[in-house]
Amino acid sequence: MTAASLTARASWRSPSALPGFGLTLGFALFYLSALVLIPLTALALRPWSLGIAGFVAAVTAPRVLAALELSFGAAAIAAMLNIVFGPIVAWALVRYRFPLKRLVDALVDLPFALPTAVAGIALATLYAQTGWIGAPLAALGLKVAFTPLGVVVALTFIGLPFVVRTLEPVLAGLGREAEEASATLGATRFQTLRRVVLPALAPALVTGGSLAFARAVGEYGSVIFIAGNLPMKSEIAPLLVIIKLEQYDYGGAAAIGLVMLAVSFSILLALNGLQYFVFAKR
Amino acid sequence: MTPLQPRGATEDHPLVRIAAVTIAAIFIALFLVLPLVVVFSQALAGGWSAALAAIRDYDALQAIRLTLIVAAIAVPLNAIFGISAAWAITKFDFPGKSLLTTLIDLPFSVSPVISGLVYMLIFGMQGWLGPWLRDHDIRIVFALPGIVMATIFVTFPFVARELIPLMSDQGREEEEAAVSLGASGWSTFRRVTLPNIKWGLLYGVLLCNARAMGEFGAVSVVSGHIRGLTNTMPLQVEVLYNDYQYVGAFAVASLLALLALVTLILKTFLEWRYADEIAAVHRH
Amino acid sequence: MSLIVESIAKRFGRFPALKGVSFAAPKGCFLALLGPSGSGKTTLLRILGGLEFAELGHVTFDGEDWLAKPARERRAGFVFQHYALFRHMTVARNVAFGLEVRGRKTRPPRAEIARRVEELLALVQLEGFGKRYPSQLSGGQRQRVALARALAIEPRMLLLDEPFGALDARVRKDLRLWLRELHNRTGITTIFVTHDQEEALELADLVAVMNEGRIEQIGTPGHIRNAPATPFVAEFLGQSAPAPAVIPLRPNRTNLHVP
Repeated sequence: MTAASLTARASWRSPSALPGFGLTLGFALFYLSALVLIPLTALALRPWSLGIAGFVAAVTAPRVLAALELSFGAAAIAAMLNIVFGPIVAWALVRYRFPLKRLVDALVDLPFALPTAVAGIALATLYAQTGWIGAPLAALGLKVAFTPLGVVVALTFIGLPFVVRTLEPVLAGLGREAEEASATLGATRFQTLRRVVLPALAPALVTGGSLAFARAVGEYGSVIFIAGNLPMKSEIAPLLVIIKLEQYDYGGAAAIGLVMLAVSFSILLALNGLQYFVFAKR
Repeated sequence: MTPLQPRGATEDHPLVRIAAVTIAAIFIALFLVLPLVVVFSQALAGGWSAALAAIRDYDALQAIRLTLIVAAIAVPLNAIFGISAAWAITKFDFPGKSLLTTLIDLPFSVSPVISGLVYMLIFGMQGWLGPWLRDHDIRIVFALPGIVMATIFVTFPFVARELIPLMSDQGREEEEAAVSLGASGWSTFRRVTLPNIKWGLLYGVLLCNARAMGEFGAVSVVSGHIRGLTNTMPLQVEVLYNDYQYVGAFAVASLLALLALVTLILKTFLEWRYADEIAAVHRH
Repeated sequence: MSLIVESIAKRFGRFPALKGVSFAAPKGCFLALLGPSGSGKTTLLRILGGLEFAELGHVTFDGEDWLAKPARERRAGFVFQHYALFRHMTVARNVAFGLEVRGRKTRPPRAEIARRVEELLALVQLEGFGKRYPSQLSGGQRQRVALARALAIEPRMLLLDEPFGALDARVRKDLRLWLRELHNRTGITTIFVTHDQEEALELADLVAVMNEGRIEQIGTPGHIRNAPATPFVAEFLGQSAPAPAVIPLRPNRTNLHVP
């Protein structure tokens, strides 16, 4: 018996009959590194040119803290709003029949498709004190545009499709059997919804909510027109990044950017962990 | 007399149904329909001629031109990347595959402003390469290359994340059959893989294009806002709006809104007609 | 002996799929690789087809170093378990594929390709099905398209992975006899994988019983049936071996009229 003619190839990947591995992976890695990974590395490194004390000072300046608080706070409120209303929209779209349903379903994706600047000026016009919605609200003494409330409105708009689109397939796949079983066991419709349907939706709600939140934290275009952008009051963190850049304070801009990224990744990671530990056991 | 039928076990009380649909309708009207209506009504507030004149304005036309150029560069590049990455990831086994898949999605969780910022940190005046670029008179930021790169960054995952699940569902057997029948790599891709993924690819390209043409935050950071030169359509909207030229701002905005509507129509059509050949329909 | 397989070994990660498989078979034989799932039979077939790669070992076919050739140059007609038909191509285009992708010099002219496709479709009894798509065919028909597609490249070796696995019992029987007759006519060295010992013993000239990455026994069906070499073979055959079925000599649906 001859020794192996095809010697054990010490290859880091499993051999394959299909061609093109080197070319496609090579290009993908090059493109990813050049356009995403290296630039993000620049973001991770740049703030430290200020020194640790400088970095801390840059991100703890009152104006910066106020902006970060607004961005994260408004994003959280907007995500909560979507977690409340998103399921109602998804439930109506999946379970009921009503006129123009297909149109409404397609419209849910509008915030994905509509350029944020367009959404921004439209929302600002609508909710301004003279706007179609702003005027009646102003009569009630509620000022939306150019206040933190306006920021919440814009972020709710941006986050809506994330929650609805995450919930829809889950709702559709839920099937009616569990609900039927619940009904035969004597549960009222409300008990069924609360004890059977809602828990089944919970993981998707957390996922959708965190996607909406993550998107909202960094949102810029749809917010700046409606926000009013008063420092310490209605100035969002991304805007502050741009202002720092315009003042050639690259280190300060990068510091805020890094903190934004780090905080949102930590929150996403925590929510993922929640998913994993709480829901995976079911 | 027919007996009154009891309500089905999984049927909601009619009042609940009406309430849910009404709440959903109000929510959607307030947040989705009205903004869309307001764009068009403001654009036409001064009549059709005023709106058309605003679009025919030199700076507006330049902005439209720049937007088209940027999309024409960024979208094909991201499509080629998406195909390459999906081919490598779905047709081969190698360590680090899931890490790579995660990294591809990374740009979606980065703020658009930060997506622009990272290029400023490299190519901007105070960036790593800034002084060298200035000495050699190469313009990256505040010029076309920077705008294209920022656009690529924010639209990076669209094609890849559509193709990866689709191609992984389709498996490797058809390609293996093609190779065993004597087809070369390129001809396997062109004759077997591409026809199988074409609708998914189109779907990804459609979404990628909509975002590329509409991107505001990232482009805003690297563009420098030079009118008639580095302003894309969304930036032109901002400039006009801040100048209180509302008809002009909304006229340009209505073009972008039309793009969004066309995208939504095509997207809905693709999802309905080619549901089996689009991954996003199965898993959102 | 024309096909010589020597100590082929292959692992998937830590799992050893093949632990040194050796056997030899004459040219033109009809060989069955029989074994339970996980015994390595499909892996061996894919190695012969060039779709999987052995870590150790050697295969000679017709005097050539078989493993040194890439899949696309082997001309090994491979029929996949789930057929792997090109779903967006018509039946005719599927069958023509192997001819159409040849280089300019060796590619037959279009009319010739069309003629060959017609011939092959007639051979697999699917005349008139050329314009259909795979999704419009039954399982048995798809199987025969896959076979016609593999035969189009004038394969030097025909490899079939569980060729009847996905079919219902009746179609399976018909197709089985038809395949045997086809082999008798073409004389192509054919290797097929199966976990159904009845199928293997009825159909093949030579049966290799595999277990846990090794060949337990190789021999003629009679030999294997009468003299199982290992307890595993005896048990594997005994367990599910019904009395050999009486096979009608001329099954009505799959009659082949060979000129």
